[in-house]
Amino acid sequence: MAIQIELIPSTVFSGKEQDEKVRFILNMVRRDKILVLEATLSPVEEKLLIEKTMDHVTKDFPGIEIASFGEEAVDLKSKLVRFLGGRMSGFTVVGPSNLVKEVKRDPDKLSLWAAHK
Amino acid sequence: MFFNLSHLIFRAKQGGVALLHGAVQFIQDIPWIFYIPEKMQMPIGNFIKWFNALFNGFFKKKKTFSLGLYGNPNVGKTSIANRISLDWTGTEVGVVSEIPHETRTVQKKERISLRVDGREITMNLLDMPGIATKVDYRDFLKYGLSQAESQQRAKEATKGIVEAIKWLDNVDVALVVMDATQDPYTQVNITILGNLEARSIPIIIVANKIDLKKAKPEKIREAFPQHEVVEISALTGENIEKLYKTIAYNT
Repeated sequence: MAIQIELIPSTVFSGKEQDEKVRFILNMVRRDKILVLEATLSPVEEKLLIEKTMDHVTKDFPGIEIASFGEEAVDLKSKLVRFLGGRMSGFTVVGPSNLVKEVKRDPDKLSLWAAHK
Repeated sequence: MFFNLSHLIFRAKQGGVALLHGAVQFIQDIPWIFYIPEKMQMPIGNFIKWFNALFNGFFKKKKTFSLGLYGNPNVGKTSIANRISLDWTGTEVGVVSEIPHETRTVQKKERISLRVDGREITMNLLDMPGIATKVDYRDFLKYGLSQAESQQRAKEATKGIVEAIKWLDNVDVALVVMDATQDPYTQVNITILGNLEARSIPIIIVANKIDLKKAKPEKIREAFPQHEVVEISALTGENIEKLYKTIAYNT
C-alpha cells in the first residue's frame, strides 16, 4: 500500500488562526497523510497541536510524529520577531505515528522513516 | 511630613501594575469595541509578564514559587522530584516505574523549603506527566500489562499530557529534564523550551542519568547552549547539591 506525502506551501496557512492551522494539519494527518509544510509552527501552535492530537488518540490513531527545521532565533532581530509572535522561515514534517516510525534531526537535515505497520 | 521613599515606590509600582492590568482587562472584556487579534494576545501577555518581572525584581520578593518538572516520559522527572522531596521533607512525591507514563496526573508537594548558602526559598514542587506526541497502548503490552490495562493507561496518559501542557503557562520556574543517554533534540523538548521561553519563565535543563555509561550530557549542552544545564544522577544523588544551588540562584 502506498504512502501519501503532501507538500503544503506557506500560502495555505497565511491568514489562518492557530486553531485553523492545527485543525487543518490534524485532519490531513488523521487521513494517513504525511505533510511537509513550508512553514515552521510557533511554540504555541506546536503546543496546541500536541494537545489536540491527544484529544483524538484512539487504537488506530496513536498520535503524530513531528519535526521542524528552521532558523534559530539567535540574533536580536530574530528574537524580536519571535517575541512578537512571528516566525522564521523553515519547514515542518508531520505525520501519523502509525506510519512515520521516526523523524530524526541533524544540524543540516531532517530524516524520516515511514512504513505501514 | 516624613515620606518613606520605598513605600512610595512600592505604591507607585502597585498602581502601575494595577493600571496596566485594568487597561488590558478592560480591552479584553469589551471585544466589540477593541478587538485584539489572536496573534497579538501572546505579545500582550509577554509584555505584562515582562512588566511584572521587572518591577517584582526591583521591589518585591515572591514568598513561594512553583517549580515544574517537564520532559519526555521516562527521563526521570519523578525520581528527581522524589530526591528533592526526600532531601527536604523526608517524604516522596510519586511512584517510579520503568513503564512509560507512570505519572498521569500532576503530582504536587507544597511548601518545600530549601536552604542553600544562607538563602532560604520555599517552593511548590509540581511533577508533571511526561509530554509525548503519541501514546500507543501496544507499547504497554511489552511490559506485561493486559490489553484492558494498557488501553486504560493510554487513555489516562493522553489526559495527563494535556494537563501538563496546560500547566506550562502557570509555573514560575521550570526544570526541563532530559535523559543524558538519549538524543536531546526531540520535538517535545523543543516545544517545551519554546513555550517557556515565550513566557519568559526561567529554565534549568537537568541532564539526568549521568551514572549510566552511555550518558553524554555534553550533547545536551551542545543542543541548547542558551540554557544552563546541570548534570545529575537522581538515582545516586550525584551533583544534586549543584541543582539546589542553581534553583536557589534562579529564583
